Amino acid sequence: MKNFQFLPARLSAHLPIKFSAAIVISSFFPLLSQAQTPTLSNLTVSAVLDGYYQSDDRLMTERAKGFGLGETELAFSASIDDMFFGKLTTVFESHNGETEVIVEEAFVQTMALPNGFTVRAGRFLSDIGYLNNQHLHTDSFTSRPSAYRAFLGGHYFDDGLRFSYIAPTDLYWTMGVEAFSGDSLRAADEHGERAFDSTGVYTAFTKMGGDISIESSWQLGVSYLRNENGQLTAEEHEEAEHEEAGHEEAGHEDEHDHGHGASYTGKNTFITDFVYKWAPDGNYKYQHLTLSAEYFRVSDFMVPELHEEFAGAADHDEEANSKDYHEAWYVSGVYQFSPNWSAGLRYGKLDSQLQHEGHFDQQTLKETELSIAWHNSHFSTVRVEFSHQSNVGFEIESNDNVVTLQYTMIMGAHSAHQF
Amino acid sequence: MRINFKLLLGSALLTLSHGALAQMNIFACEPEYAALAKELAPDARIYSATTAMQDPHQVQARPSLIAKMRQTDLVICAGAELEVGWLPMLQMKAANVQVRSTDKGLFFAAEQVKTLDQMSNVDRSMGDVHSLGNPHVHFSPPRMLTIAQALTDKLIQLDEEQSAKYQQQLSRFSARWQLAMTQWQVKARGLQGMKVIAYHSSFRYLFDFANIEQVADLEPKPGLPPTSSHLASLLKRADNGDIAAIIIASYQDQRGANWLAEKSNLPVIVLPLSVGGNEQSKDLFSLYDSTLDLLTQAYRTQK
Repeated sequence: MKNFQFLPARLSAHLPIKFSAAIVISSFFPLLSQAQTPTLSNLTVSAVLDGYYQSDDRLMTERAKGFGLGETELAFSASIDDMFFGKLTTVFESHNGETEVIVEEAFVQTMALPNGFTVRAGRFLSDIGYLNNQHLHTDSFTSRPSAYRAFLGGHYFDDGLRFSYIAPTDLYWTMGVEAFSGDSLRAADEHGERAFDSTGVYTAFTKMGGDISIESSWQLGVSYLRNENGQLTAEEHEEAEHEEAGHEEAGHEDEHDHGHGASYTGKNTFITDFVYKWAPDGNYKYQHLTLSAEYFRVSDFMVPELHEEFAGAADHDEEANSKDYHEAWYVSGVYQFSPNWSAGLRYGKLDSQLQHEGHFDQQTLKETELSIAWHNSHFSTVRVEFSHQSNVGFEIESNDNVVTLQYTMIMGAHSAHQF
Repeated sequence: MRINFKLLLGSALLTLSHGALAQMNIFACEPEYAALAKELAPDARIYSATTAMQDPHQVQARPSLIAKMRQTDLVICAGAELEVGWLPMLQMKAANVQVRSTDKGLFFAAEQVKTLDQMSNVDRSMGDVHSLGNPHVHFSPPRMLTIAQALTDKLIQLDEEQSAKYQQQLSRFSARWQLAMTQWQVKARGLQGMKVIAYHSSFRYLFDFANIEQVADLEPKPGLPPTSSHLASLLKRADNGDIAAIIIASYQDQRGANWLAEKSNLPVIVLPLSVGGNEQSKDLFSLYDSTLDLLTQAYRTQK
């Protein structure tokens, strides 16, 4: 157990790590059968199994057509001593016959700083937006909204550092700043010629929340992400072809990073999120409702010189009606009408600009998803999801209607859920 | 944006330095422990995270609870994994070092007493069972007295200056409790041998205290909602004619119980899970009074 502390904070998904992950995993499997009280002081081991069948490919999703494994994760967490808490989450994914092992979380966090301060270091999920800090297996839909897929590569985890603070007020109020290497959010760089900043992403976020009555609660968040490596540069006209060829792989030479990089990046990203939950008498056992919405705006996606160049071109070209920012939003409602059944409806829209031979073309993606889930217990869910999409400007052939069947099941420790 | 953020942080830090209050802040996971805290530390600011109308297993780690836990000096919970789905998340998000371990301001009631139904071999296929035993210890009058003593020790550990006052509150509470307990024992004697069908093991300790036998459970397995095939098997069991009533707790869904009641002609009794679970249950004393009275009524009707 002690060798946890000696695992390098910065892990990559290359071979030696796969090997060591396998050792760690095999040596901890016996523990699963006798998982102890998962309080913060004991080692908590949990495994999530996620498998699916999808009738067709969807734009920018990690799930591919056919049978596959989604976020199948194995997580260990425990107090290291009275000062530190640590967590290691490895994720296995398989699609198109390839299996990947990804270290999604490997962080240490302070437990004993005074006055509501917390520092977290290592690899972890950024706390921007509402969904980003939640694990995919807690989602009510099979894929993240297009906003997350387009701008954060599904969900954004990275190597970095976070400072956060929670105010001693009855109104929940927390705030934090993060710095990350930002590799997965770099702008396209096909030739690998660009000098990227090694610390590329900085974020600031704040969240507030409270109860409206005994039956309902809310949370509001505002986040900002600054990406030093997010702007497209002038010499990359060939980039357009590359992007057309495969959006989900947007400019990442690292094969292992398949599907995890952002498709659209920019210098400044603003996110606003809102969540409202309701249960009769505040009793979540039988029925409850969750409404959530988020809005993303990614601006300054090209360097100023490039911007001028395109502005010049626009004068001659009447069809250049593209905006100088990307934006996306979604609204979602999920209702659990009995302990065994829940249903969710989500609508999302993405407006993005695609660099294309000297100008930018506007793209639009609209998606509606209906998901119905059966929960045999707290730990097992079987879901069917129907998604309908319509897009303009995406040149990948894609079916408008996709059906996904999915299961997510949790073994080992009962993981506590976030609001 | 970043400058604004620094300003916000600065002003938050300023308000923090003014926030030192002498009054103790207590966060109770369930209303029965808020009620106990009120008996033992009447001057404290007490907040209950849940009500008697809510399932304590399934609570959202919602923003208001994080905010309360951030400011609290003492967290009192049932323990034995009852709050495992939400308490660790609150502790993590509240960043309050004072309530992270039982050495300081964290108190688990089930750790102070011997729990019933401890299991050495727990498997998820058995349902939502806990190896540490049944956590609903608050319906055992003798155990609550032990818990009250341990909680007083904890209060004194955290607030030594008022030690005499806490001792005084405890002796006053103990005297009243012991007196009430003799009355509850008389009522319990009248319930001896009563057989019931109940929902979950919420009243395990009450049934143990009163020698009531829970012959069947509305849940096919702990934590799983009643199914129609399971209800049908309960109906067969009810046909034996020895069962006095179907018992559910104030937060539990009545549909399964009502269906069975209609078919079997048994009464459904809704017992308060905790303080606030019905009109009569205003504190721990009236909670026990009301619960035992409701059971006595049903048992008399059967006879």
